[in-house]
Parts: sequence; C-alpha cells; structure tokens
Amino acid sequence: MENVLSILFCLSLLYLALTSRVKHCVNVLQAQGIILAVINTLPLFHHFTLGEIILPAALLGIKGVLIPFYIRKIITDLDIKDPIEPTIQQFTFIMLVITLMSAVFVASGILAKSTEINIIPFASGFSAIITGILVIIFRKKLLVHVMGFLAMENGIFLFGSAIAFKLPVIIELGMLLDIFVVVFLMGIALNKISTTLSGFEAAQLRRLKD
Amino acid sequence: MFSLRDMFFISMLIQAASILAPVFIGGQRRASALAHITLVAGLITGFISSFLAVFFPMAHTVGTGFFGLPPEYFRFDPLALYFLCVVQAVAIPTAVFSYSYLEHYIGEGRSVKSLYVFFAGMLIATQMVVTINHAIVFLVFWEATSMSAYLGMIFEKEKKEVQKGSFYYFVMNHVVIFLLYIFFFILHRQTGSWLLSDFRVVTGNSGLTALLFLLALAAFGMKAGFMPFHFWLPRAHPIAPSTISAFLSGIIIKLGIYGLFRAFQILSPAPLWIGWLVLVVSMITAIFGVWYALAQHDIKKLLAYHSVENIGIIGIGMGIGFIGSAYANIPMQILGFGGALLHVLNHAVFKSLLFLGSGVINNNLGTRNIELMGGIVHKAGFFVFLFLTGSVAICGIPPLNGFVSEFIIFNSFFTAARELKEYYPLMMLVSAVGLAFVGGLAVACFTKINAIMFLGTQRGETKPFHVSAYDYISLGVLALLCVVIGFCPVPFINAVNNVVSGIVPQGGAELLNINWLYITVIFTLFSAVALAMYFISKAMRKKFGFRESDAWCCGYNRLGPRMQYTASSFADQINDIARAPLGYHKKGRAGEGIFPPSSGFESHSADLVDNRIIVPGYKKFISLMSAIRLPGNTDIRYYVAYILIMIIVYSVVGFLWH
Repeated sequence: MENVLSILFCLSLLYLALTSRVKHCVNVLQAQGIILAVINTLPLFHHFTLGEIILPAALLGIKGVLIPFYIRKIITDLDIKDPIEPTIQQFTFIMLVITLMSAVFVASGILAKSTEINIIPFASGFSAIITGILVIIFRKKLLVHVMGFLAMENGIFLFGSAIAFKLPVIIELGMLLDIFVVVFLMGIALNKISTTLSGFEAAQLRRLKD
Repeated sequence: MFSLRDMFFISMLIQAASILAPVFIGGQRRASALAHITLVAGLITGFISSFLAVFFPMAHTVGTGFFGLPPEYFRFDPLALYFLCVVQAVAIPTAVFSYSYLEHYIGEGRSVKSLYVFFAGMLIATQMVVTINHAIVFLVFWEATSMSAYLGMIFEKEKKEVQKGSFYYFVMNHVVIFLLYIFFFILHRQTGSWLLSDFRVVTGNSGLTALLFLLALAAFGMKAGFMPFHFWLPRAHPIAPSTISAFLSGIIIKLGIYGLFRAFQILSPAPLWIGWLVLVVSMITAIFGVWYALAQHDIKKLLAYHSVENIGIIGIGMGIGFIGSAYANIPMQILGFGGALLHVLNHAVFKSLLFLGSGVINNNLGTRNIELMGGIVHKAGFFVFLFLTGSVAICGIPPLNGFVSEFIIFNSFFTAARELKEYYPLMMLVSAVGLAFVGGLAVACFTKINAIMFLGTQRGETKPFHVSAYDYISLGVLALLCVVIGFCPVPFINAVNNVVSGIVPQGGAELLNINWLYITVIFTLFSAVALAMYFISKAMRKKFGFRESDAWCCGYNRLGPRMQYTASSFADQINDIARAPLGYHKKGRAGEGIFPPSSGFESHSADLVDNRIIVPGYKKFISLMSAIRLPGNTDIRYYVAYILIMIIVYSVVGFLWH
C-alpha cells in the first residue's frame, strides 16, 4: 500500500513538472499532502497509539488544508493568472526530470542492497527533492518557486518514512512548523514585493540587490 | 508550608504573568502600571524565599515541589541560591525604576510594550539560568537571557550607533554560546549525563582539563568582559535603555562569573598556570578597564569600562582561589573566592545604582556627554547624594561596601604570601600594589564625573531636572544596601562563607576569623567624626561668615559655563602617561595675544582591541568573503542550480565511496 501511494506521489511530481497552470500546481501539492498524511497513518493500523496520530493529523491540517488555502488566497489577492512560463522547452524539462528520476530509482535500488530502506518511498522522496529544485531553477515565477520548495519538503517527509529507524515525532512536527512559517513569510514578502515590482519573477529580484 | 522550590516556581509564574498585561491591556499607562506591580510582586515573592535560604541556611527545605517538573533539572545549592538572591535583589529596584523610565518614553509618545516584555523576559530567563541544572536547558535560557537583552537594547533602533553596538553584542553572544556548546558536549561525552551536577573529568587527564578550562575561560570570560574580550561592553552598554544596561552591567555579565564558578566546581583542582593566567588577565583587565574609563566623555561608556574594571577585581579574587586550589591550600581559596563572590554582590548593587542614575540624568538632560553637564547639585541635591554614595562605594573607599570585598581580596594576597613561600611574597606585593592602583584610578575617575557633572553650572542649554519618587525609591534602596553591607558586613560574610564552603568542601573559617566587628566600630567612629566635622564647619561658617561662590570659580564671583574646568582637562595628565595603550590623542590650541580670539582642547580615546583587532579584522573578513563568489550571474535560480550540482556531486561521490 505504501508503495502504491509512493508511485502516485511520483506521478503527481511529473504533473507538477508538466502543468502550466498555477492553480493546478496547488492542487498537486494538496494531493501530495493528503498522500503523505495517509502514508503516515498506515502504521497505525497495526498498532494504534494516541500520541502518533498527532503527526498525520498535523500533516493533513497544514499541508492538506492550511498551506493550499493560503497559497490560493495569495493567488487571488495578487491576481496571478497568467500561465507558468518555462525558460526551456517543456519537452527538454520533462526529459530532464524523468532522466534524473530514473537515475534516482536505479541508485536507490543499488543502495537498498547494503542499507535497510524501502526502495520506492525512498526513491520517490529523493525524486521529489530533485524535481523541486529543478522547478525552482527553470521557472520564472516566484510563487512557483515556493511550490518547488514545498515539493522538496514533501520529499523530505517521504524520505523520513522510508528509512528504517523512526525520527522522533517532535522533530517532524518541528519541520512542519518550519515549512509553514517559511510559506507564511514568502507570502508576506510577495505581498510587499507586489507593491514595488509588477511581475513576480525571480529575474527582477536582481534589481533589489544593493 | 511551601518549600523553596515551590516558592521559586510561584514567583516565576507571577513574573511571567506580568507579561500578559501589556499584551491584553490597550492603554500604555495602565498596562505598564499593572505589569510592573505584578513583576515586582513576583520578584519579592522569590526574593523572600531566596533571601531566607541564603541568610538562614538551616531554616529551609528545598523539597521536591508539586509542579511535576523533574526535580533533578533544578539545582538549589548555596552557589545557585546566592546568585539567585543577588539577581532578585537588583531586579526589584531596577523594576521599580523601569516604571518611571517607561513613563518617560510614554510621555514622548513611543510604544513601550515591547521594551517591557523583553525586560521582564530578561529578568525571568536570568533567574532560570542560575538555577537550571540541565546543560541543554541551561543553554536555552542562556540564549533567552542574551537575546531578550539584545531585543531590549535595540529599542531605539532608528539610531545608527544602536544598530552598530547591538550587532557587537549579538555576535559576541553567539560566539559565547558556540563555545559553550563545545564545552558541554565534551563534558557530556565524558560522563554520559546532561546534568551539570554530574559533570566530572577523569582525574589525571590534564590535557582535557586544560582544554575545558580554556574553553570555559573564553566563553564565560567573554560574557563577563575580561580583556581582551571586553570590546563589546563599551559598545553595547551606552546604547541600551538604562534599565537594560543597568541589569546588563549589574547582573548579566555576572552570569559569566557564575559560569566560571560552575566550571571550577566541575574541573577542580585548577592547574597552576590557569590560576596565574586568570590572575594576570584580571589584573590587566582591572587596570586598563579603569584607565580607559578615565578617558571617556560618555557617562554610560565610562560606567561600562568600570564594569570591565570590577570584573577584573572579581577575577583577581578568583585567580587567587585557583592558585590556592592548585596548591590544595584552603585559606587562599576561601579568601579568594569569598572576596570575588562578595564583590559580585557589591558590584551588582552599586553599578546598577550608577547606571540607573545615569538614566535619570540622560532622560533629563537628553545627553550622555559629561562635558555638557554641570550644576545638577543645585537642582536635585538628594539625587546627587545617592549617586555620590554609589561612586564612593565603587571606588572601595572605607565606609561603604566596595571596601569590604576589596579588603578580603587584599587579605587573600597576604595569605598567599604567607602560606606559599618561594617567589609568592613578591608577586603578591605586586598584585596588591596593582589593586591599590586600580582603586586610585577609580577615585580619580569618579572625582572627575561627580565634580564635572554635579558641581559648577550647567554647560550647554539649561533644562529643568526632575527625579520621580520611583527613581528615588529604587536608587535609595540600592544606596541603602551599599551602606548596610559596608557598615554591617557580618551577615553577608556568613552567607558568602556558606557559599564558599559549597565550592571548597574541606571548609575553613578564614572569612569569619577576620574581626568584622572592628570594621563596624571603626566605620561608625569614622562617620561620626566626619559628621562632627561637618557640623563644626557649619557652626564656624555661621559664626565667622563665609564667602560663597560656585565650584570651578577659582575664587571669582560670577562664573560663565564656558569658564569651567572640563572633564578632558581633569583626566589629561593621568591619561598622558599611558598614551599608547589607551589610544589617547588630543588636540589643543592656545590663543595668543592679550585678548586671544579662541582656544580649545579636546581629547579622544580609542579602544585598542576594538580599533586594532576587531574592526580591521572584521573588514578583512568581509572583503575576503565577498571575494569568493561565482562569476557572472546574481540570479537566485543560478545559485539553486549550483546547489543541485553539488548535491549530485556529493551523491555520486558518496555512492562510489560506498
């Protein structure tokens, strides 16, 4: 079950790389958040402890509801509707993503022989990190950068559930809080920038350099 | 009956509750009043219990407490209780003062809620630091103390000097906490425990002991302000609001001393060379601290350098104690540590008195420059009397408290000379002369500021001088403490002796053997004679008449502000002796002819460490770092791409390594 969800997660990444609509990106992120919450709920079916339900609940709350809601609000507030403009051809970009993804899968297959990891969630997490970075590199819009960053963070979470030893809940909760704060700050910064710079493109940030 | 632990937590809760007032109450004045009342109530609750525990050690139980916190996380041994008592004793008057100080800002129409929250946070975190036993929690509260002081410090953040000085403080604190992390992690690896009370070093591992001692000296010494790590004090203290700088100077730098005592408890006995290192560094700190102070024109900067000096004096006592521990000599340790501990209390009292006093002056005159003041004695005589009390105490002049602790430290020199023969008598003679020299310079310095600031007439524009009742209460309480410790040192000596016997377990009665009753008797006689002489002179004046003229008048009748003696001229001769180490330079021009058109004199002093090491070093570091950059683009996406390339390189390398 975990593997199936991880594959689904991976596919959502491909969609994130492909789509040219900002709103679809948000939907993908929301879906990823829900998938992550479900993956973190799975071990609870074997043995249930009340303390461990905090993490999936928080995941669902923050990644599934709060952050998408907030980003959608930013989109409506700042009136961002034009499509995502890629800097390289869409085809090249998707090939790059797929190549790196397959490299990651092969690599984690080799790695699994010597370490105790679940190949598919591990590789999916890693691909999410790489896809996130690629999205940041090859997209112009600042808001899409935030989404690339969120995809990276999702990857890190999947990573955490793929390794054999469990991270303490408090650390994962701390990470969640971190992400939320970062997105929050980014929203505020975007709002501020929108008053001085008209487009929300990273290249224009160069003008702010002192 | 509540145990000590419960009282401590209750007082903490009340103090923490005071932060709620500015959050939930809209009106500034009402919020400030309610917050201060709650804060002072909480502090007094805590002070009563810690005071009873320190001064009547038999009559209390620590207890386990009902708040469900792990009892081993807190440590209420004599050392912790002593520092807790000192913190609270100074915090109460400072909090009272804070009320009228904030009132001043409210009058100017500024929002003071943030300043109050950080001030209260600083007090609470400081009380936690001295009682916490868990290393990590200790570091958390250590950071909380430093950062709330920092946030309070940048209250007037629109000023350029505030931004600069607070940055010094910020960086210094992070260096300190970085060193402390290393220090605690090494100790944790040694013992496998996080509790300060469990930390030990395997005896015989002298290399590790030396390393840990050096780490502790660097970290805690930087916090305390030993030279050459003192550079942040004269930058940070002048810019902070007076409540913050009084507490910073009176208490927070003492946390460094507290840390050194804790480090000594863990690592004792100290190696001999550490003892000498501490003694020599402290001697340099004391002498140059006061000498730099003499060259300052900014009242708060001057007081900051005096903090450096007094930390030096405390360090001298500790150095003697360390040397004593290297020789396993009990009397030396007791006198050295005892003197240092009592000086911690004394300095906390009179330095906060002086800093709060400087806050009153600053608020009234709107300047910190001594050269622009004058004639305050005609406007607020009693205030000047209180400030003078603090000045006399800090100089170590007999009837007041500064003398008592310095007397113990002098005693420790002579004990060291007597107990350890060899070359010690000579060395201790040199040290005694050095300490006496420090006292002499301090007298010169405080003569300067009291004479220039208070006597004569106001230089610059004349303004009314208003001292509120709250100011008088807080300054009065502190001045009264100076007098009480000076005239009646016995209970304080007993308390200190109790603390020292916690640090030096073998114990001894050297502190109690000094006949303190003589001091009380002599001081009383001394004061009686002084009073008698005052009344006699008054009577003589009445009988024979006298001619009255202002100070600095040189016998002339009318005095213009520009004719007065200045602080620069006063200190010039002494500063001229040590021109190079003080970075002292002056500019004078004398007019010629019968009616000279104009003449002037100005002098400046630049801190050697700050100007020769820190500032150029910082500039060099920045230019070095900005030289390292990737060519071409400044777009953020390129940087992210570089990160991705590095991740891939690392993964491939790691893979092949595997």
